[in-house]
Amino acid sequence: MKHYIILTVILPLLVAFLLPTIGRFSYFLARALPPIILIFSIVITACVYNNETAPFALHIGDFVAPQGIVFHVDSISLLMALSVQVFALFLWPRRSFKLQSEQIVSNKRYSLMLLLVASANGLAFSGDLFNLYVFYELLAVATFGLISFDTNEANQARFAAAFRYLVISATGSVMALLGIALVYFLTGTLNFAHLATQQANLFNPIGLSAFALLLVGFGVKAELFPVNSWVPEVYSAASKKLSGYLAGVISKLAVLVIIKALLFIFPHSEAAYLMLGLGLAGLLIGELSAMRSNDFTRMISWSSVAQLGLVFIAFSIPGQAGIIAGLAVLFHHMFVKTALFLIAEKWGGRISDLHGQGYLNLIMSGIFIFVALSLIGLPPLPGFWSKFLLLNGLAGQEYYFAIAIILITTVIEVNYLFRVANHLFSREDKPVLPINNHHWFDTLTASLIVVALIVAVWELPTINDQLIIMSDQLLDIESYVNRVLISTENGL
Amino acid sequence: MIPDISSILFSGAIGLLVIGVGGLLLSNNAYRVLLALVIAEAGANLMLVIAGYRWDAIAPILTGDFTPQPMVDPVPQAMVLTAIVIGVGVQALALTLIIRVKKAYGTLNMVEIKKRMEMDFDRLSQEANQPGKLEDNS
Amino acid sequence: MYQFASFVFLLGFLFLISVITGFLPLGEPPMLVGQVIQNNAASETGASNFVTSVVLGYRGIDTLGELSILFAAATAGSLVLSGLKQKSIESGDAGFLVKSASELFFPLLIVVGLYIVLHGHLTPGGGFQGGVILAAAFFLPLLAKPSKSINSLALGLIEGLSGAAFIIIGLIALFNEGAFLKPFFENGELGSLISSGTLPLLYIAVGLKVGAELASLLNLLNQEEVNDS
Repeated sequence: MKHYIILTVILPLLVAFLLPTIGRFSYFLARALPPIILIFSIVITACVYNNETAPFALHIGDFVAPQGIVFHVDSISLLMALSVQVFALFLWPRRSFKLQSEQIVSNKRYSLMLLLVASANGLAFSGDLFNLYVFYELLAVATFGLISFDTNEANQARFAAAFRYLVISATGSVMALLGIALVYFLTGTLNFAHLATQQANLFNPIGLSAFALLLVGFGVKAELFPVNSWVPEVYSAASKKLSGYLAGVISKLAVLVIIKALLFIFPHSEAAYLMLGLGLAGLLIGELSAMRSNDFTRMISWSSVAQLGLVFIAFSIPGQAGIIAGLAVLFHHMFVKTALFLIAEKWGGRISDLHGQGYLNLIMSGIFIFVALSLIGLPPLPGFWSKFLLLNGLAGQEYYFAIAIILITTVIEVNYLFRVANHLFSREDKPVLPINNHHWFDTLTASLIVVALIVAVWELPTINDQLIIMSDQLLDIESYVNRVLISTENGL
Repeated sequence: MIPDISSILFSGAIGLLVIGVGGLLLSNNAYRVLLALVIAEAGANLMLVIAGYRWDAIAPILTGDFTPQPMVDPVPQAMVLTAIVIGVGVQALALTLIIRVKKAYGTLNMVEIKKRMEMDFDRLSQEANQPGKLEDNS
Repeated sequence: MYQFASFVFLLGFLFLISVITGFLPLGEPPMLVGQVIQNNAASETGASNFVTSVVLGYRGIDTLGELSILFAAATAGSLVLSGLKQKSIESGDAGFLVKSASELFFPLLIVVGLYIVLHGHLTPGGGFQGGVILAAAFFLPLLAKPSKSINSLALGLIEGLSGAAFIIIGLIALFNEGAFLKPFFENGELGSLISSGTLPLLYIAVGLKVGAELASLLNLLNQEEVNDS
């Protein structure tokens, strides 16, 4: 069973390669195949998740560890891969085309979507720094293509947004490559387990600068502070479901990469302070810009920047408390932001245009209120619990400055989210705009997210146990090293 | 006096990186920004490939009677091969995007492009909730 | 003001990198992984070119990722340009010299490209370099006659099938040997053309894929240029 986990990366790639060719012969097959493959890989991931309680290392091509590439599979990477695939299935681009030329174009879009899923799975599993870089670049290129697809020809801004994003992302890649070169100079290896045994060589200013370069490079997708100016542009220009997928799921994988770099390359307080500072800056800038924006999409884009700032603040807390808080904030944001972007699918314009909509579309406005309350952190909801864990961890380290900023930004969050709610249920004497209703499937997906959040309230003890297991696995570097570096014969 | 070989190799990589980053910061033309990216990437690749360099060693290929000799590290060379091809793909995609931006806005000036893009966003934001909008792509 | 700030930043960047490189051990790399590969590669993969054994053996999945990036770039590029109207504007030929040179070089480039692809495990070169030469061979006629375009259906077929071939070779290894991309034929005699297991097969797939992707990217940009004038 263990070896088949690699199929979750390989099969989407295989189908993506063949999809444009298949699409020329049978449009129906090209539309049906990607979801089938996704369901198949969800089944594989779920089976491995059920059967393998202990984490294991998968040596690709049976080459012994530091030379060959290793996929390290543990609960957190399996859960990440599972959410990548499930969210992709629910946010899969919909729309059937009649003309053949349009069908060919839409097949290309499906194959880019599959490449995105494959690379995200690879990012979740891979245990090699350069391999992560390759998957990260694949993710970036697939994203550029998906952003610049829109059936609305009036939307010319998407090309400019994609190009500006590409420039930022490619600059980040150059920085990441430089960081990889520095790491290789110092240690002569790129395998995370092997790097962990070489910590003595890395604990110097050059190691820190290598970590900083990797942070900037991989931080582009994670919406880290100095390299996040693309966020509102891209999310406004792209289709809202894609934006929800990028903000909700894909950014979390970049965070995971950075956490791996923090734990295995430079696990010292300097790196943590760097992340704390950048996270705080991202939080402040995100919330303030969200308050200033008049456009619903823009508002939730900036709010996602702020939430990822929170994630970075959480992971900068040393020890288990930080990892648990970070994972809680991360998974909570994954659900909440996806739901918000699904709402923005139809309500993406000016906020003032939304007045009175709440009475017309009670389900969606109810979902919005619920999700907003959870995002703010109202006590029984999961958002409260994740923020509580975060503040608790910060208090344990006596980072009172960070606590103050988080509390202040929570007030700002209340302000802008409830400005939207006010417009939704305003009784002003203006004509209510006849906005199209959301597609039933989007409404269903958003409702499922709400149900998941409500279930999470009841299941908090279970989730807490799971998070403790995950953080134990993440922090147990010694057994990680043993699993990866011991010869492959044990794993078979 | 013959300069130290390491200073020559490193100054090549540093020079390419600084020229590239400088071009990114200072040039205002979309195409020149792309060229600056190409240069910076070359610098990073050069840095990576000299990470495996050894004095008095040959290329990592067994020839002749296959007796082992000191060889340079093959891993960075393989990685650079990968990184170069990745760079080519990204640059070609950037070129197609530049073509579309030029078609849409008629300019390659980055400041102008940003201004036009923000105007487009304002327009889209106003139109988004207007009645009679067609079913959008999703 | 912005320019001044940029210059200051650049000076700082220059200083920072110079200081960092000053501490790096050039010429005496740690060679932790590299030395082991040099000792084992000949017996484990059977390729006398160690770079090839790293590219296709030890780090084979990197190569797969990189092929996917090229494929993604070509696909995304055609998506970006798909909305433009394809109008054919008559543009003149490139003159006698370029035309006859392209006819002369076409077979030569094909042979050289195939040679480099096939000898990837023995000599410097391999699928990427050979693939680029193959793409150049198919692009030369376009330079001579810009109004022509390459058959995109055939290109798409080569793109898809060669990428699929790489993965299927890996999958056969997964189902027979229990590990994805594990080399599974006999290693053969070191240094001979038919040796080192599946690596040459993988390199042929890589060469075709790289050639087809680059040709389709160039084809894409070429069509644009014709339309633009």
